Amino acid sequence: MDHDLKNLGIPEEKLFSFHKHSELESEKITAPRYSYWQSVFRVFFRKKINIAILTVLAIVIAFAYIYPAVTDFDPYKNLLDPNAKHLSPAQAIEKFGFSMEYILGTSGSGKATFDAIWNGAQISISLALICAAINMTVGVVAGAIWGFSKKVDAVMMEVYNVVANVPYILLISVLVLLFTASFWTMVFALTVTGWLGIAYFIRTQVIIIRDREYNLASKCLGTSTIKIALKNILPFMTSVIVTLLATEVPSYISYEVFLAFIGMGISDMSLGRLIYEAQPAMVTPGWELEFWSPVAVTAIISVVLYVVGQNLGDASDPRTHL
Amino acid sequence: MGKYLIKRLLHGAVSVIIVVGIVMVMVYSMLDRSLIFGADPNFVRQTSNTRTTYTYLKWEEYGYLDYVTYQDWLGEITRNGEIDEETRTAVVGFGRKPENDSEQVAEYVAKFTEYYQSQGYQVVRLDAKMNGRMPVKGGQQALFAFRDKPLVSRIVKYFTSLVYIDNIHRAEEVQGERGLTFTWHDPAYGGEKLSPAILGNGTTHKYLLYMDDQFPFIHQNFATINLGTSYSVNTGVDVFETMTKSQGSYVKSTVTYPTGLVEESADDLHSATYMQGSHEASELNQARFTDDYTNISTAKNGFSKMGYSFVIGIISVVMAYVLGLPIGLLMARHKEGLLDKLGTIYIIFIIAVPSLAYIFAFKAIGTTLFGLPGTFDMELGGRAMFVLPVISLALPSVANLMKWMRRYMIDQMNSDYVKFARSGGLSEGEIFTKHIWKNAAIPIVHGIPGSVLGAMTGAIITERVYSVPGAGNLLTEAINKYDNGVIVGVTLFYAILTVVSIILGDILMATVDPRISFTSKDR
Repeated sequence: MDHDLKNLGIPEEKLFSFHKHSELESEKITAPRYSYWQSVFRVFFRKKINIAILTVLAIVIAFAYIYPAVTDFDPYKNLLDPNAKHLSPAQAIEKFGFSMEYILGTSGSGKATFDAIWNGAQISISLALICAAINMTVGVVAGAIWGFSKKVDAVMMEVYNVVANVPYILLISVLVLLFTASFWTMVFALTVTGWLGIAYFIRTQVIIIRDREYNLASKCLGTSTIKIALKNILPFMTSVIVTLLATEVPSYISYEVFLAFIGMGISDMSLGRLIYEAQPAMVTPGWELEFWSPVAVTAIISVVLYVVGQNLGDASDPRTHL
Repeated sequence: MGKYLIKRLLHGAVSVIIVVGIVMVMVYSMLDRSLIFGADPNFVRQTSNTRTTYTYLKWEEYGYLDYVTYQDWLGEITRNGEIDEETRTAVVGFGRKPENDSEQVAEYVAKFTEYYQSQGYQVVRLDAKMNGRMPVKGGQQALFAFRDKPLVSRIVKYFTSLVYIDNIHRAEEVQGERGLTFTWHDPAYGGEKLSPAILGNGTTHKYLLYMDDQFPFIHQNFATINLGTSYSVNTGVDVFETMTKSQGSYVKSTVTYPTGLVEESADDLHSATYMQGSHEASELNQARFTDDYTNISTAKNGFSKMGYSFVIGIISVVMAYVLGLPIGLLMARHKEGLLDKLGTIYIIFIIAVPSLAYIFAFKAIGTTLFGLPGTFDMELGGRAMFVLPVISLALPSVANLMKWMRRYMIDQMNSDYVKFARSGGLSEGEIFTKHIWKNAAIPIVHGIPGSVLGAMTGAIITERVYSVPGAGNLLTEAINKYDNGVIVGVTLFYAILTVVSIILGDILMATVDPRISFTSKDR
């Protein structure tokens, strides 16, 4: 090769030239700037449907949190008025004059369905968010430890086998009877063992990634376990965690409705309680709206939260950022 | 494999025992035990001291504590022969106040106190509440001992009495000789039909082995399962029997009683169990029976609680697999196609919308548009009433199977062996049905025993919405009625089903996929 170049008659200096090493230049990185969260939102907002769903979510949140705060909802306002019960929207507006609260009619105790729904939604969404926050935090941390340590794994598997077999309904009803059926009792009941399922899920994920080559290499280079967990594995798991969160939040709303339906729910007027109390109205002609409107709102809230979470989960997977 | 399975079963058994222990602590120690009187009309009628003794008596019936009165104790030691009947009558009445006791009575009261205190009991003596010279209503004096049942002995006793083995010394006194007899001609059918049976005398059940036209056709009573006696849900009946006993209205048939009396009746003679002194006690029994085996249950036309749950559950499980797997497969095959999009919307709908909401929505659609019956009616019968519960139960399982089938198929689609098969010139159809499907089905197979066995436990919401008389609501009903025996029994039943179905799932998975092995040696 060398020989041939010389035959061509090109001097060696023209082929190669020495370049001075520059400290300043070497600091610059040639790859384009990449910010993880910026890319997440770029990918998320690239889909137009996400903007629409976020708008719906914003409206739902506004109604659930701002609307009850600015209006003064009194569930017992019409309790003593026998003519104010089970009114259809048209009858209610005719009776009370047009007002936002009566656009869905009134319920069996004369309260305005529309207001009751949004007050209930506030309680249900808060319950779901608080439970999800507690369970996810505890579950992810415990799951990471569970997945990393073989000793913890042996113990926790036994704990999991036992706790998973204690009927959930029994646990909740015992707690509700021990304390009162208040909001915070329900939070406690849903979180006292609820994190175990999430921790188990995370444990499995951690075990899958834990022994990958890049982590073994990292370990060989002397990286501490905590750093491996935080820098190597946690970023990998972000999309899994967000996806899990997307299923968890609606599941708590659903669970709250279920518990209220079997008569073990909270004493506050949550969505579940509202559906439970409106049950007889479902089959009565003319009263159906009382039952179906909270059901519909619950469904809308859950679907919106789920879809936003799922798409955020997709967007937080770095493989979609290209 | 055998050794491994035994290890797994033992592990499972330990978990089940711990679960039962936890549940026992929860229901017997943590709950406020005075709650059981909330719905008890008799409690309010009791006053003063009788209310206290009534409370302890009920607590004993519900299984909270051991409770012995002074009179019971005297009766007991009289039967043992420690004292004679004369002494018993002399000392059974104790004074309104301890000071009023005669010397002999005081001696026995002291013995009673000493004996039970040494056993860890607490002895309580209530002085008579007086209104002048007469005791107030319910104010009679009382003397009794009680103690909370210790957890360990409660668990041991529960598990040792789980299986009841019948033998010829179970009955207290019998006419004739104790023993088993084999006959080719079952007397319950008039003694002419060829139907082998084993009859016992001295056993709890009269018929220990017999045949009839009900599934599984040959029945035995040598060993019966005893999950715990119900107190308020189905008074005095075992939980397992509550779940498996047929419901509905009576079915009459020609019954030949042991005395030869032939009547149209719903009595099921095969269910006869021993009841001491019952033959003497009633004229009806004397006309029908020749011995004390008179406790008979009746034949009914419906299924049992578990039967209804299982029929509905198993049809919906089959439906779910038959629909869910092919749809999931097609969704993966035509990824991003119309079916995939529609399927995804359906999956999102099922996951996100509370199950209560779509079951109600479905019920409304089914009853108004298709005219299907929306409530279960055992008397009416017919197949139409099963349709809506089955579909409501199948809907979420279909979505779940679709979701996982699609996921597993897509995961497999990118693997090397699929690329290799494609480069080898196999058609897409062949790759999907012969290569990917087999690999993707492995994790699906693991869940089959779970869903089949889970069908027995029933579904709470579906059964409530369609008022199905199934087993799904037994636990919630028991909790609402503070029936601790049922709570513990149902929990044990569920826990055993879970443990067994996970082990069966593992076995099934290992049989389907030869690469999976649970023993390190096989690897």
